Amino acid sequence: MSVADDHAGERPRRSPIGVIGGVVGDLTTDADLPLCQGAYRSPLRDERLAAWLGASLGVLFGICFVTGLYSHLHQHPVSWLAVPARPAGLYRLTQGLHVAAGIASMPVLAAKLWVVWPRFASSPPVKRAGHAIERVGLFPLVAGGIFMVFSGLANIAQWYPWRFAFPAAHFWTAWIVMGALVAHVGAKWAISGRALRRARNRPALSEADPDLGSVAEPDHDGLTRRGFLLTIGGAAATLTAVTVGQTVRPLRHLALLAPRDSQSGPQGRPVNRSAANAGVLAASTSPDYRLRVEGRGVTTPLSLTLAEVRSLPAHEATLPIACVEGWSYSARWRGVRVRDLLTMAGAPAGAQVHVESLEADSPYRVTPLDRSQAHDRDTLLATHLDGAPLGPDHGAPLRLIGPGRPGVNQTKWVTRVVVL
Amino acid sequence: MTTPPAHRSNPGFWLSAAVGWAVIAYGVWGLFHHHLDTRPANYARFFIGGALIHDLLVAPVVLLAGIGVSRLVPGRAKAPVQAGLIVSGCVLLYAYPLIRGFGHAAHNPSSLPHNYTLNVAVVLLAVWLVAAVVVLARFRSAAPKRSPSPNRGGRCH
Repeated sequence: MSVADDHAGERPRRSPIGVIGGVVGDLTTDADLPLCQGAYRSPLRDERLAAWLGASLGVLFGICFVTGLYSHLHQHPVSWLAVPARPAGLYRLTQGLHVAAGIASMPVLAAKLWVVWPRFASSPPVKRAGHAIERVGLFPLVAGGIFMVFSGLANIAQWYPWRFAFPAAHFWTAWIVMGALVAHVGAKWAISGRALRRARNRPALSEADPDLGSVAEPDHDGLTRRGFLLTIGGAAATLTAVTVGQTVRPLRHLALLAPRDSQSGPQGRPVNRSAANAGVLAASTSPDYRLRVEGRGVTTPLSLTLAEVRSLPAHEATLPIACVEGWSYSARWRGVRVRDLLTMAGAPAGAQVHVESLEADSPYRVTPLDRSQAHDRDTLLATHLDGAPLGPDHGAPLRLIGPGRPGVNQTKWVTRVVVL
Repeated sequence: MTTPPAHRSNPGFWLSAAVGWAVIAYGVWGLFHHHLDTRPANYARFFIGGALIHDLLVAPVVLLAGIGVSRLVPGRAKAPVQAGLIVSGCVLLYAYPLIRGFGHAAHNPSSLPHNYTLNVAVVLLAVWLVAAVVVLARFRSAAPKRSPSPNRGGRCH
């Protein structure tokens, strides 16, 4: 039955690929696989397991893609699709999900690659045009998947062993992986669907295929397929458990391997860039510091000292800081509303603005506030964090804090508000 | 067990291939269009390198580990040991840059706030405690029977 139709007469052990297969050993009992059936004894590499892992990975990558697009839209706004300022915790949720799903996908991707790995050397390598297209598409899928998980995990650990800009590379590779995933799902739809629908208690291999079964089953006393799937789920759950506390507060004490802790850092709160590392210590504490509000249609441009800003009516808001790297915390912020400043300066109603930092060389020196964000009642230039004056690492003299925004867009060391 | 190969002549296959490759092309276009940010030559090293490291290093190491376990570990302990190794491997792969402290930033007290070497040890200890308990339970449940032959350890239903 099994392999005979496609590869009748092949003596795999004598072909070069057969030799590789022999060395690799212990691989599969998948009847669709052409290589050395006798040598591949692990019944874990079957198509139902591959389909389960593939479907799980599809869901995780899908979550990452959608939440990643949402994050990208925040950082690279487009005129035809405004991102909502509300609910205030939305970005915290989407980006927490993005990073958690990315971390959890690592064991699933590894398992999926392990299960299908023998197919890499299948013989003949290409059977027909469609098969060739399918196989070529595996390169962007596999290399891209590995790249996405690796670059994402390195980024949350703030490790940059490369010279490219992480956000751009991660974003464009996401399209490559999603495209390859669409093609792959189309190619595997029928076979995976059949595998997933297969009866749970299907006959043992030895009943379905006595020859193959007699080789494969007696030797197998390790993990069962279900055990393997549970183990991979367990690995994903373990990684999630020891990291997700960086954004889910009740699990904070479990977050042994999170790159940030929501309660350590200056003023008991984490930051990604300190004032010293941003090179703004001198400028932010200088007596020459001014907050300027100016730009198109402004009737009375403002140039305020910090004391003057502090004397303006203050507003308090409880808002999360949600970093693109997946950590977040909620805090009580006090400061002056951006919309009050715009009114003082006589800016046109409904103005959109840019907020500029003292920071000289950061891609996030300037961040945009669209109409709804700029005029939200809780969008502040904050002077206080949790009741204490804002420290330099948190963006003193003034930091932007608004609802539903990525942390990189909560600009620190604000010195200029420009009406566009 | 035989499953006929998927019908690659069906329209769904070609439709998804057309859409998929168009999206791939968009991604590749974006990478080159933003070459100042993406630095294609450096990027390619990581894109191709990741796949090569997986296929030439990680996969063979895992296969050898699998063969080692299948030869060295007695039947009833095999599954828990395999599970323990899989979970440990994932934890170590994830935690490697944290343990090495590659991303540690000076002048930033919130940068990598934990002792990751110690914490990884704690996590691995917990993983292997669970594995050990399962191994003990499996040997206990086997004890009243006659000692299992090494090849038929997984006989229980």
